[in-house]
Amino acid sequence: MKKQFSRRDFLKVAGGAVFIVAGASVMPQFLRRTLLPEQVVGATDNFDLFFGGTDGWFYMPPEPAIPPWFPDSYAPEPFNTYIFGFRNVTGMTDAQRENQRNKAQHNAPFFWVDQEQELKVQLTNLGLAQRPDLTDAHTLHWHGFRNVIPFFDGEPTGSIAVPVGQLFTYVFRPHDPGTYMYHCHVEDVEHVTMGMTSLVFVRSLQNSLADGTLLGTWTHHTGDRYAYNDGDGSTYYDRENALFLSEIWAKGHWGDAHIQESDWSEFKADFSMLNGRVHPDTLLPNSPINLGASTHALTIQTDGNGDLLWPIEDPNGLHIEHQELQYNPHSSLITCNAGEKVLLRFANLGFREEAMTLAGIKMKVVGRDATLMKGRDGTDTSYMTDTILIGAGESYDVIFEAPAYQGPGLYDTYVLYNRRYTQDSNLSTGGAGGQRTEVRVYPGTLGPQQYLNQHPDDSAS
Amino acid sequence: MTASKFKWVRLVLVLLIGLLAFSPVARIQPAQAQNPVATTGVVCTTGNSPNPSFSLTAQSGYIQMPDMNTMYMWSYGLTDGSFQHPGPTLCVNEGDTVTVVLQNNMDYSLPTSLIFPGQENVLVNGVLSQPEFDGSGNLTSLANSAAFGGSVTYSFVATRPGTFIYESGTDTKTQVPMGLFGALIVRPGLGADHVFDRPDSQFTPTEEFMALLSEIDPYQHAAWAIGLTQGSNYNLNNYRARYWLINGRGFPDSIADNNAPWLPSQPYGALARIYPYDAAIHPLPAVERFINVGSEEYPFHPHGQNGLVIGRDGYPLEGPGSEDLSFEKFAVNIGPGQTWDVLFKWHDAEGYDPVTNPVSVTVPDLANVAIGMFYSGSPYLGHQETMPPGISTLNQCGEYYIISHNHALFQLDAFGQVMSGPITYLRIDPPQPNTCP
Repeated sequence: MKKQFSRRDFLKVAGGAVFIVAGASVMPQFLRRTLLPEQVVGATDNFDLFFGGTDGWFYMPPEPAIPPWFPDSYAPEPFNTYIFGFRNVTGMTDAQRENQRNKAQHNAPFFWVDQEQELKVQLTNLGLAQRPDLTDAHTLHWHGFRNVIPFFDGEPTGSIAVPVGQLFTYVFRPHDPGTYMYHCHVEDVEHVTMGMTSLVFVRSLQNSLADGTLLGTWTHHTGDRYAYNDGDGSTYYDRENALFLSEIWAKGHWGDAHIQESDWSEFKADFSMLNGRVHPDTLLPNSPINLGASTHALTIQTDGNGDLLWPIEDPNGLHIEHQELQYNPHSSLITCNAGEKVLLRFANLGFREEAMTLAGIKMKVVGRDATLMKGRDGTDTSYMTDTILIGAGESYDVIFEAPAYQGPGLYDTYVLYNRRYTQDSNLSTGGAGGQRTEVRVYPGTLGPQQYLNQHPDDSAS
Repeated sequence: MTASKFKWVRLVLVLLIGLLAFSPVARIQPAQAQNPVATTGVVCTTGNSPNPSFSLTAQSGYIQMPDMNTMYMWSYGLTDGSFQHPGPTLCVNEGDTVTVVLQNNMDYSLPTSLIFPGQENVLVNGVLSQPEFDGSGNLTSLANSAAFGGSVTYSFVATRPGTFIYESGTDTKTQVPMGLFGALIVRPGLGADHVFDRPDSQFTPTEEFMALLSEIDPYQHAAWAIGLTQGSNYNLNNYRARYWLINGRGFPDSIADNNAPWLPSQPYGALARIYPYDAAIHPLPAVERFINVGSEEYPFHPHGQNGLVIGRDGYPLEGPGSEDLSFEKFAVNIGPGQTWDVLFKWHDAEGYDPVTNPVSVTVPDLANVAIGMFYSGSPYLGHQETMPPGISTLNQCGEYYIISHNHALFQLDAFGQVMSGPITYLRIDPPQPNTCP
């Protein structure tokens, strides 16, 4: 049987598109179809978030080099690695949004929603500035969303994808609290490892109980937050941090910038990242946070063109402007006061199993893959550990209780690192370059956490 | 990047032949195999309980790779059947005394044997199966082997229900990667529609599926295809898998029917075809039996549902007082040699309907989106839309296709060929009556 090669297919191939639709000769099923009027894009659809998919450049520590792939000779200073990614373009003018082509960030924005609340995420495809020959579509696939319909799953063979310049709005009605992840599912090995990935979570309905509600022996107070609808307060937390694991294969990134096909079966993790950075950059502040716009996503402040502001280290002292981290906006430093309960939301969209170890503090696994650790009959299956063994596509919700402050410094430091030491550093001096960050325990001097992943040196307004 | 054209042409072939020749009985099965064979789901080779006996021949043959490469393999065939990969899925009942006669018809007159991980007291010709050593004391086989042209008879009592592996115990680093493995399913006393002897392990019998995951380094296989010397000299330090398979097939072959005639040596499909959950007419879940016969972990990710892991390695997840220790997963991370038993269902949670409950966004014109090859054109289950000119779909009746795949995503790209690895789909048919063939 021969593929019917239509004019439309020809145009797509001529344009370098990837969404070649399998042609079929006449099938009897077509005769049974009901013709319905075609609906059109409505500019009036409301949405909660608006993301744009595009390419860009970001920064990894340039030493040691991985010649000839890294640092990439095409990269504009001070960057060195070609990426694809999503940007939060909610509230931007059309001109500002268009300006974000070639200004992707890695990882993509964290976003969240309350259980049972409808969330609409509009996606546009801004195109790839470095690769005008490549007109890949994009999607937003919420990894782990239960009972999804293909229309909102963002998996391009089973439904639809968003071509360059087009719009599509995803609707999510989450019924299951916990930590998930999202990514573009078009050419997924490529678009995922190139950086169109991040973490998303659903806050539990239990957060909204009336003040004084009894959960067994636990009394709920307004403002108390829980990872899950646990029924007993066992997943209460004071602070929360998202810790998103991903990887860079330098040759693959170089290949995409230099119009070279990659054999992805040769994949190798040259850099293993936490929230899109490697140690010690993981300890630096977030890029300036736009608090007012952070209702559904951790939103970075932008300039008049819509471009991201970069993080500033020690804003009141040394004032070091980290321009190179403009497109690695997320910190993964964890800070808390002694005695507080801290929720760590881990998700891994790298391709390898990682072993995240918190030395000196016990962690309690309260959820995995957005599921409370309980059997169907209510048996508690949570457990204590020092090391989270987290595979590709898995998520873990972990709560630790910060130990007593011992001093004498401003805070006590505990290291959170990948016990797969090969991924803990990239052989650079001092063991830096990999999945490593710190938990800093203060004596009670930290104010309440205002937003996800808050860093004490952040500027936020 | 650009998908290679011929693969999609082949995909159309695969699916169209599947659709047009939907007749399930495409290949003559030996007498003891189930007949007729369903187009999807586990294909059991059965014996006469309580004393089922199977005869497997270890031999060489060829299978087709997703990029049209042909791969030299070692695998098992039923002695009165022909070479197949993976080996026949043996289904027995709890308490059966199972006999497996292994005939050695290996290339290069190599010895071979069978091990049954998870089975206790495996006997060889009536005495306990034992490892073999050469004259220098080096371990050569994990079980008593058969010489070329000969046979060896293993027997054991299948004391525990669950999902198990059988595989070669001889020169395992070579013979297992070369393909000498298969699945063993032990059905519980509670009935064939249960995974374990627990009422909460019941499933829909027509929705029983297997995902046997494996990998191939083509250089290892090529070396053995050339000759004994070349094969023996293959350096395992250079081992690098380039193909990853599900039930011995890569995508798109993985979603072709069981016994698809154009895959004569790869009889097992991996498409999971189910109906939506319905408390009245379809209350029970489906089951997927995950099996890893490779050398590293395979983090398998089914979209659209959390699988409920109820057992591993033939043990139900339960406490000493039968407490339920099962857990849900959206990434099932299966280690080498492990089996995971996972119940799952798909629930039409929102009940979207084009008239009574439309999706809360404007549906874009199909001309303004990239259309997937399985898309019905409509967001709604059981509905189809006419495609724009020049675009057609493989969707038959408004059914949903929700992908399942390994999330170590580089494993999806065999030798750089996009979308060719361990990928299959959950096909959800509209509730009956429907127009699905």
